[in-house]
Amino acid sequence: MAETSRVLSSAPGDARSRPAQVLRWLLFSDYLVLALTLVYVAALSFFVPEILSPTNLRDIFLQILPLFIAALGLMMVLMVAQIDLSATSIMAMGCVVGASIMTSEGGYLSAQPWAPAVAILAIVVVGVLIGVINGVCTIVFDMPSFLVTLTTMMFFSGAAIWYTAAHTSSGSSIGSLPPAFLEIGYGGVAGIPYAAMITVVLAIVVHLLLTRTVFGRWVMAVGLNPKAAAISGVPVQAVVIGCFAISGLFAAFAAIIYTARLEAGTPILGQRILLDVIGAAVIGGVSLFGGKGTVIGVLLGVLFLSAVDNGLQLLGLSLSSVYAIKGGVILLAAVTDAIRHNVMARG
Amino acid sequence: MSRLDSRTLVLMLLRFAPLILFALLCLAFGALSDRFLSLANFRNILTQSTHVAVMAIGMTFVLLVRGVDLSVGSVMYLVAVVMGLYLSDVSLFVSIPAIMVIGAAFGAINAALITGLRIAPFIVTLATLFIGRGLALYLSETKMVFQSDTVQALGRASFFGVPWAIWIAIVVAAVAWITLTQTPYGRQIYAVGADPDSAGKAGIRVQAITFSVFCICSVCAAIGALISASQVGAASATFGYQEEFPVIAAAVLGGTSLFGGRGGVFGSIFGAVLVQTTSNGLVMLNANPYLYPLVNSVIIFIAAWVDGRRRLMTERIEQRKIRIEA
Amino acid sequence: MSELLLKISGLNKSFFGVQVLRDVGFELTSGAVLGLVGENGSGKSTTMNILGGVLTRDSGRVELAGVDVAPSNSRDALALGIAFIHQELSLFPNLSVEENIFLDHFPRRMHGLPFIDRRALREQAKKALDLIDLQVAPATPVMRLPQGERQLVEIAKALTRQARLIIFDEPTTSLTARETERLFEIIGRLRAQGIAIIYISHILGDVLRLCDDIVVLRDGRVVGEGPRADFTIERLVTLMVGRSIDRLFPEREPAPGTNSAALSVRKVSQPGVVKDVSFDLRLGEMLGVSGLMGSGRSELARILFGLDPYSEGEIRVGEHTLSPLSPREAMDKGLAFLTEDRRGEGLMMEASIANNIVLPSLVERSSGFMHWLKPAALGQAARDVAERVRVNAKAIDRTAVRTLSGGNQQKVVIAKWLLRAPTIFILDEPTRGIDVGAKYEVYKIINQMVAGGAAILFISSEIEELIGMADRIMVMGRGEVRGFFERTNFDREAIMKAALWD
Repeated sequence: MAETSRVLSSAPGDARSRPAQVLRWLLFSDYLVLALTLVYVAALSFFVPEILSPTNLRDIFLQILPLFIAALGLMMVLMVAQIDLSATSIMAMGCVVGASIMTSEGGYLSAQPWAPAVAILAIVVVGVLIGVINGVCTIVFDMPSFLVTLTTMMFFSGAAIWYTAAHTSSGSSIGSLPPAFLEIGYGGVAGIPYAAMITVVLAIVVHLLLTRTVFGRWVMAVGLNPKAAAISGVPVQAVVIGCFAISGLFAAFAAIIYTARLEAGTPILGQRILLDVIGAAVIGGVSLFGGKGTVIGVLLGVLFLSAVDNGLQLLGLSLSSVYAIKGGVILLAAVTDAIRHNVMARG
Repeated sequence: MSRLDSRTLVLMLLRFAPLILFALLCLAFGALSDRFLSLANFRNILTQSTHVAVMAIGMTFVLLVRGVDLSVGSVMYLVAVVMGLYLSDVSLFVSIPAIMVIGAAFGAINAALITGLRIAPFIVTLATLFIGRGLALYLSETKMVFQSDTVQALGRASFFGVPWAIWIAIVVAAVAWITLTQTPYGRQIYAVGADPDSAGKAGIRVQAITFSVFCICSVCAAIGALISASQVGAASATFGYQEEFPVIAAAVLGGTSLFGGRGGVFGSIFGAVLVQTTSNGLVMLNANPYLYPLVNSVIIFIAAWVDGRRRLMTERIEQRKIRIEA
Repeated sequence: MSELLLKISGLNKSFFGVQVLRDVGFELTSGAVLGLVGENGSGKSTTMNILGGVLTRDSGRVELAGVDVAPSNSRDALALGIAFIHQELSLFPNLSVEENIFLDHFPRRMHGLPFIDRRALREQAKKALDLIDLQVAPATPVMRLPQGERQLVEIAKALTRQARLIIFDEPTTSLTARETERLFEIIGRLRAQGIAIIYISHILGDVLRLCDDIVVLRDGRVVGEGPRADFTIERLVTLMVGRSIDRLFPEREPAPGTNSAALSVRKVSQPGVVKDVSFDLRLGEMLGVSGLMGSGRSELARILFGLDPYSEGEIRVGEHTLSPLSPREAMDKGLAFLTEDRRGEGLMMEASIANNIVLPSLVERSSGFMHWLKPAALGQAARDVAERVRVNAKAIDRTAVRTLSGGNQQKVVIAKWLLRAPTIFILDEPTRGIDVGAKYEVYKIINQMVAGGAAILFISSEIEELIGMADRIMVMGRGEVRGFFERTNFDREAIMKAALWD
């Protein structure tokens, strides 16, 4: 691998390094992922033409939305050179808490007209709260973020199961959610799904936050050099806690959409998408070394991962193989990120 | 001077926090359940904690050089599946070396990515966690994989009245202890963990050492799989699932730092017993099984918190003073 | 006994086109102590790093006992019998004394087996520790030893490798007086055993006491060489500072000296760092701070800017008392701080010049409840200030700081604070590691700021620079203020003595 990076970093103008230059350009291009997605879909369409059918494309589109939201949240944490593995448990916890409030079968506010609103608020509060816990433990108590968030992941996954069991007789899920809430899942206005509107709004908000506000610049500064940031007057601790809180908030938004689609609050919500969230962010060019990430990159990452997912399912691969392949894709993304970083460091 | 003393006191407290926790747990469980404080149950706890202890010993090697390995649970499942599906007809003298080779190979892949490309260990091992489990699920077709009679017999057999599992753990612990304390290699592991840059300048082969500890960790995970599979007799699709949690918790509770350079074999064994005592106590109390992950995560959280505090304290005491009163 | 051990001749070395060693040469016999003195940047460290295998030379010869040698790393050097004891010790606090001594050559049990022979280890370690008279159990963790004893452990390590030549780089900076005495006694003992010593230190009294011969370096040249009897402290200082570099500093009008105090520091203390530091800094004044590494000058700067805590005293800006540990408040009151570690604390190396420049000014240049930014206006502001300090780069919004030269990087750090129009600017080693031309430009920018009415705290280890620039110089040593010098009676030698004497 060292060999590859040496080739990639060879001086421009060297006649022999023309292919290396192309490789280097590809490596750093933002649209590498898009190109890969198109190539993948095109190649796959020979074996399973259904992949290009309008229904399937619509499926992929709808599938992308909540994943994109969660990945945007994770991006904020990666930007400050930390990691958040707890998104899935935030979703599970938020989902069951929200459902327990608005379900018509013995919910706290069953059949009240404003129950969905309160439930949504509760989901958001759960997400932000867990995010803040993650952030405080990481930056104030000086614990490694991967361990903190692994712990909260385990804790709240367990807590969600326990909470569900305590609120239902069947024990597996909380159903009978109000129709107004379920509209969020697949409903829409003039053919545009609500979920899509929420996603677009959130994506624009993150984009503006990162490029047009002081907070966005601070996030970048903390990710690139926390010491220099502190000396320049950046409240480093608050910024890191804020990023974890945003990650929690966005996981909560994703949970709202997923819950509305499943029409039930279930503690296993999101269990399978941890890899997708991390994978999408890292493939989308968000650096694990901090300070680097864009909304459009994450979108492309989500697109790629969803296309892979969909293609593998259409090919009829078992869930376990899909798992293994996704793990491989993340590894590949991390390898690319590391090579980029090494090439940059050498200049 | 008095300030220094109070700091040293807090450090001592932090150091013995796991012991205090252990005593409190024993007291609480003992008060709530009359079966808990019995010799038979203690023997039970020891036997049940062997696989975690062996894996925690392996994890200790990785943590000592500031790494972490999240893939141990997947290695465990992969090894159990391979053992049940393909090694059921051969003798243990063939199958045990074979699974150790599988473990070493898995560890070598982790290590190559971590040392070769300098990718963060947690992300590499998180990816191989999924790859390993996916591969194993593919092999097992998500069905229950039963172990051969010889393996199951190993789980039941005793030697001098002590279960085989404990003998295996003793051997692993002895080898690990000798390696860490009695060989140049072991001492150099500690040096790398304390300060990789200085270690490199002192002529220690940092990369080679980092590579090797990940292999050792995966080999230990393979041995843990053997022990656990022999006790359970079969591997379901959730065999070894999230087993990295108790393993890391055991090592850190035993005094091994997540920041490298400190820790040891006996601490990790103690940590494994502590973790198992908790699970056992909850079973004795007929606690709601949903509570297990909650309690386990609280324990790992306490371990990590104590470790973080201890590092901060030590750093402050260690900090170089500029102005020296003669 | 006194055969020639080391002969260095015609040594040249340059970094990025700047020549740092010019034809350096000297000799050393075994059983002798050679003192190497010179200001920071005079070439001492470079010479020793070549000898210790850390750097390679451009040209010249190094002969060890008549054989040409060229160690390419510290292992090589050690094998040749050259041990280098750095200022920052390379011990592992979590290992024991004996393990640290033998870390890369443990005695092994039986031949070829990878087990440590603990008994042999203990005996050999004990023997090495006896040689240097260190009465600690070899199994003690290094963590438990005070700094001075750790230094001795390093020496024991060198002795077990049969070192013929031991280089000490500023060994006494973190030692107490008693520990220093002990070190000298041991160096005397090593000399009696026929080991040659090179002793580098700023503390000239020590050098004169300890060394048989002295070599003085200045600007990469040997400017004085001879037996100890040839030198006095006065002569050493004169040789070290030279007399010919006055024109390196731009002209400026001296401050009127009647302005009100911008920054008042009263009895600021922090145990182990600084003690009873008091001074006033007036608007339009440039106060130089002189002192050796470890004198507390950089630590004082960090305390003033609210980055490090202090236990007693008061820091006032005008009528306002600054709260401790709040860089934000310090900035709001008009303070700015250029740190000595440009790469580690001053800049985001991967970010663009513009992004670096605007970082401290974002809040003030944003509007609305979300702290909205106007990228165009920000970019323009960054361009203006970059132009003012003449940052040499084409597109400041696309060029990463990493690609700039040291001097240009420093200008970016200055620019990022200038954008805030600070009234009190703390500069910690603003010209370290940048070339002469860039230095001159940095001096000019600083002078413009003072002329504009700002107050400057100029910290530097180069006395020449302070004499050329400052209105007043405050000398620090061991965390305390040793004295003040007015511009009218600036005297290099007096200043250096104040900083050096204990």
